[in-house]
Amino acid sequence: MLATLAQAVVNGLLIGGIYALVSIGVTLIFGVVKIVNFAQGEFVMIGMYISFFLASSFGIDPLLSLLISMPILFFIGVLVQHFLIRRVLGLGDMPQIFLTFALSLLLMNVALLLFTANYRTVQTPYSELTFHIGPVYFAVAKLIAFVIAMLLSGLLYLFLHGTDLGKAMRAAAQNREVAMLMGINPDRVFSVAVGVALALAGAAGSLLMPFYPAYPLVGQVFVLMAFVAVVLGTLGNITGALIASLMMGVAESLGVQFVGADSGLIVVFVMLLLTLALRPNGLFGGWAR
Amino acid sequence: MTSNFKTRPWFWIAVLAATALVLPLAVSDPFALDIFIRVLLFAFIGVAWNLMGGYAKQLSLGHAAYFGLGAYTSTILLIRFGISPWIGILAGGVVAMLASLPIGALCFRLRGPYFAIATIATAQVLMLLFLKFRDFAWGAEGTTLPNLGDAPLMMQFESRAAYYYIALGLLTLGLAITYLIERSWMGFYLVAVGEDEDAAEAVGVDTAKIKRNIYLISAFLTALAGTFYVEYIYFIDPNTAFSFNVSVEAALVSIVGGIGTLWGPVVGTILLEATSALLQSWFGSGHGGVQLTVYSLILITVILWRPSGLIGLFSDLYQRFAHAGSARAKEVPLDG
Repeated sequence: MLATLAQAVVNGLLIGGIYALVSIGVTLIFGVVKIVNFAQGEFVMIGMYISFFLASSFGIDPLLSLLISMPILFFIGVLVQHFLIRRVLGLGDMPQIFLTFALSLLLMNVALLLFTANYRTVQTPYSELTFHIGPVYFAVAKLIAFVIAMLLSGLLYLFLHGTDLGKAMRAAAQNREVAMLMGINPDRVFSVAVGVALALAGAAGSLLMPFYPAYPLVGQVFVLMAFVAVVLGTLGNITGALIASLMMGVAESLGVQFVGADSGLIVVFVMLLLTLALRPNGLFGGWAR
Repeated sequence: MTSNFKTRPWFWIAVLAATALVLPLAVSDPFALDIFIRVLLFAFIGVAWNLMGGYAKQLSLGHAAYFGLGAYTSTILLIRFGISPWIGILAGGVVAMLASLPIGALCFRLRGPYFAIATIATAQVLMLLFLKFRDFAWGAEGTTLPNLGDAPLMMQFESRAAYYYIALGLLTLGLAITYLIERSWMGFYLVAVGEDEDAAEAVGVDTAKIKRNIYLISAFLTALAGTFYVEYIYFIDPNTAFSFNVSVEAALVSIVGGIGTLWGPVVGTILLEATSALLQSWFGSGHGGVQLTVYSLILITVILWRPSGLIGLFSDLYQRFAHAGSARAKEVPLDG
């Protein structure tokens, strides 16, 4: 019983690392640009397909293709910010919500047309590898994904707190007008924020590829998790999103283990609704509200 | 000659109503009739969504919750208790209203995008629950509805035209309710909430009550559509009844047509369903993804270039046309 519990917690934490990359991206865009990116999951999907094609055509290991998927998605992020998001800033809820929502629909269905609904997987030497500490098993691919995800989150933290551009971003998140008065160029800051957020989604995609199938709708799983984690972790709060994502991973895993295989999502949604009922502002304070 | 929509709306509405009424007599092709029924049904769902999403700007992406509750309530009453869907449709509406109270209490704590996300979650939770209810709601396999032949009292008909008229009746009901609300105090309160909730609250609008009331009405109407839909296709399962596509299409038709306008959802549905029918005839129905790809492109275009919806485009054109007409009409006597 205790071993099962520990196993469920470990599995949850490991996948929670991936959720964290997605939800940090969502919360970063929300904090800086004040837009909820409904298409964040589709950028995970794009990252997965990039890694899949690099692996199947050139034999590049998915973990290595991180170095390709992240810059590509950063660039896509800059384009999305410049041609789409920038044009609806300050226009009210409807255009802001439905623009990225439409983008999400578009990317999903274009992927469906281009790649069909088939599941694509990549077999790596470490895909099936496990080791155990006591009775608890660790899947190597998931552990690597978790470690890299935490490293990337740490790098983002250093970037936001240690570089001028990062500080400018946090300033723009706290108070856009004052930040602009201080000489911060909002266009540049917003482009970098969206670019970084999408690069994180791309990283999540590449990290998933060794143990998770790519298909056009795969992003939906991750974006729903991310939204719940972002609400739970207080909107715009990056550390909050990280902790909440790990909690979500564990909650989902416990749900699957103890309630039934298809109950993971119910547990997650119930957590969301409970949070809304009890603590609508999330569990943590925010730096960007 | 110089009449325009603003000065003589009833004339045009009468023309429209007459056309709608005789359409099934003129068109007997079942495929075409099916498209008309879909147009009426989705326009009706759009109208129901628009009351809340358009006027009060509470952008729900979870109206499938009420569509599904309506569908399941009437089907359970029909199959388990032999109760006519005519009663079931009202019961479904009442169940949806009751469900909207706790759902609203939770979701209205959030605003904007996070309200939308919370509504998605509620619809998903309901779908997941109905997947689990094997004993009285048939679980994931769903069930077919008993075919009783031509049984008008049980909402089953041999001819498609009958379904057409029911859908037309539903749409008329939705439009009438919207029209009445638009002209009442409630309409003004809704627009005030939609424009700026804090400001509305500050000048004494009970925003919580207004939002709750419009959610009740919107949920009720959406549930009617749910019952009608399963009676029309003779099948129900959680993925059909709580389909995310229903939530999306309800919002989509309203936004493309014109959010917060009486006729917006109707215009939007006609445009989108016409596009969809054209695409099907060009590409066949085998290409999954074509329709939604085009829908999302239309949506992005509308949001970037015409966020008030396409209905404004048509009334602009109409105005220009009517003005051109009146100018010429005045010139004629001078020339002659």
